Amino acid sequence: MVEHAIETEGLVKVYRGRGGEVRALDGVDLRVPRGVLFGLFGPNGSGKTTLISVLIGLQLPTSGSARVLGFDSVRESLEIRRRVGVLPENYGFYEHMTARENLEYLGRLDGMPARELKRRVSEVLELVGLKEWADAKVKGFSRGMTQRLALAQALLKDPELLLLDEPTLGLDPQSVALFKGLMEELVKQGKTILVSTHLLQELGHICTHAALIRRGRILAQGSLQELSKAYREARGYGYEISVAAGAEELVRELRGIEGVTYVALENDVIRVRARQDVTEQLSSIASKYRVRSLVPLAPSWDELYRFYQGERE
Amino acid sequence: MEKILVVARKEVLENLRSARYWGLVALFVLFYVASTYAIGFAIRGFGATLAGRQRVVLQLSTNVVNAFAYIAPLLGIALGFGAVAAEREKGTIRLVLSRPIYRDDLLNGKLIAAVVLIVAALALSTLIAVPLAVALQGVNVTAEDFARLLLLLAPALLLALAYYSISLFTSVNASRSSHALMVSLVLWIFFTFVLPIVASLIAFHVLGPPPAITFRPNATRPFQPGQEPAQLREYFQKYSQIVRTVQLASPNARFQELSSALFATRQQTGAYEELSKVLSSHWIDVAVLAAYIAAFLLLSYIFFLRRQETR
Ligand SMILES: Nc1ncnc2c1ncn2[C@@H]1O[C@H](COP(=O)(O)OP(=O)(O)O)[C@@H](O)[C@H]1O
Ligand SMILES: [Mg+2]
Repeated sequence: MVEHAIETEGLVKVYRGRGGEVRALDGVDLRVPRGVLFGLFGPNGSGKTTLISVLIGLQLPTSGSARVLGFDSVRESLEIRRRVGVLPENYGFYEHMTARENLEYLGRLDGMPARELKRRVSEVLELVGLKEWADAKVKGFSRGMTQRLALAQALLKDPELLLLDEPTLGLDPQSVALFKGLMEELVKQGKTILVSTHLLQELGHICTHAALIRRGRILAQGSLQELSKAYREARGYGYEISVAAGAEELVRELRGIEGVTYVALENDVIRVRARQDVTEQLSSIASKYRVRSLVPLAPSWDELYRFYQGERE
Repeated sequence: MEKILVVARKEVLENLRSARYWGLVALFVLFYVASTYAIGFAIRGFGATLAGRQRVVLQLSTNVVNAFAYIAPLLGIALGFGAVAAEREKGTIRLVLSRPIYRDDLLNGKLIAAVVLIVAALALSTLIAVPLAVALQGVNVTAEDFARLLLLLAPALLLALAYYSISLFTSVNASRSSHALMVSLVLWIFFTFVLPIVASLIAFHVLGPPPAITFRPNATRPFQPGQEPAQLREYFQKYSQIVRTVQLASPNARFQELSSALFATRQQTGAYEELSKVLSSHWIDVAVLAAYIAAFLLLSYIFFLRRQETR
């Protein structure tokens, strides 16, 4: 059993074109644990698509190496592609073929036996909500339908690892919700998902782990808790306390706690900021009041991104 | 092997559903039938002089060979130019190559499909057009003639595959199928229209104008066949030799010589030349066509294996 689903070392990818050199990946050491929903977050042009292409052997690294499910991305890319489902960027379907025909062709290329494939195609079409459109030509599909079909083809062989490149880009809210639900469900089933996006608000909150990438370098990576730690130490700890009664009293008492820098009351919700972790003090004081909830605030991935970006510069 | 057949099957089915493929088959039939029409007129109009079976079939075969020389390359190009570039353009190649398939298997599958589709188009048009010619124009086609017309499919397949290989190569290296199409068509135009003209210009330049001949005043036709003056015959022999040399590397010219030889008849008996004789005197034509196919297929494989799919 390999510890990480994905592990790269000093991955560099240089594109050489007429306009000179672009270092799309500049020494990437990525570690994606098994069984998590892992976000690859970064703005456009930060190297997400390049990284995913290198992982499945579609492109060769200029230097460095990558192992996916224990297989080398250059020498054993076929083994990787046997086990990994990919939703690439800028893909397309055979427009004159139906959704089902497209999936059957791709499934055969996956090496799936005919009978299993037939059953599985119907299954994934149902899963992404395209059952009624199974025998319609892809030509007339909307962006949302095409993207659902793209997710379906990635799921065909029931892979243990999924690489999804900007899966929700340009999708309607309904499809976005479906995608998020499916991703969470798949991780619950024990699968690993690497999902890239530049829309941190859209997909951030379902990811438990992430790598923040910028200009081909990883700014930070790990679980939300791990990454929040440095953020909190630098920016302080935030809390939200919801009270039923006696809020003014509580506010006064909270102000007395050592290290608390900010307390504000608004509509029965008290916001607290502190220089260090004051969870214990807060709960012991709060226990004397009629408190509905006490929640330590986690920074959003957006805030984390800006924070780690600032750290580097 | 299994995946090669998966690709081949899908390519065949996709093409059989496309208007482009059937358009080309229709064009084939049209050219074929049109060439028999011309012969039909000839039979009715000059029945007396052209009655001989040999003349009619000879005329038919010449027209059919010409029709194939135009259209077989187009069929090859039609199947080749989009083979890789269109998949790149549409992005289907990303879905395909993210699966456990070797890149050369993708090309192998497409090549097999191309052979199947070319043979089908050629055979189909022959099987439609020849009976039409017999029924509509009263062209007298014997079983032997028909066998030769079917044999013609072999060189036509070679010609179509030569152009397929060339346009596959352009397709492998293009990110837009329209670029691949353009390059292939330019090559087709060059070999089909430009090079023959260039060749005859060169021949005229080398040989000068044909020698002046004095005509017999009361002759209805200038010469009986085979009765031309020796200097004129010599001139045209030299002329065609030069033209042939200039076009040695032209797949079209190689096809035309090879196919015409299929319909050549023996002087005394009027029977067709034996196949082994045809091949032994025209092996160079076969070799040139095969060389095109081998070279451009090889280059396509090498470049496709090396190329990374970006964007
Ligand atoms: N085929 C290519 N040729 C040259 N430069 C490229 C190519 N593909 C990507 N790039 C450049 O590499 C960088 C990373 O691109 P990409 O991996 O697509 O980032 P992202 O997916 O995060 O938007 C960008 O600067 C982009 O312009
Ligand atoms: Mg991208």
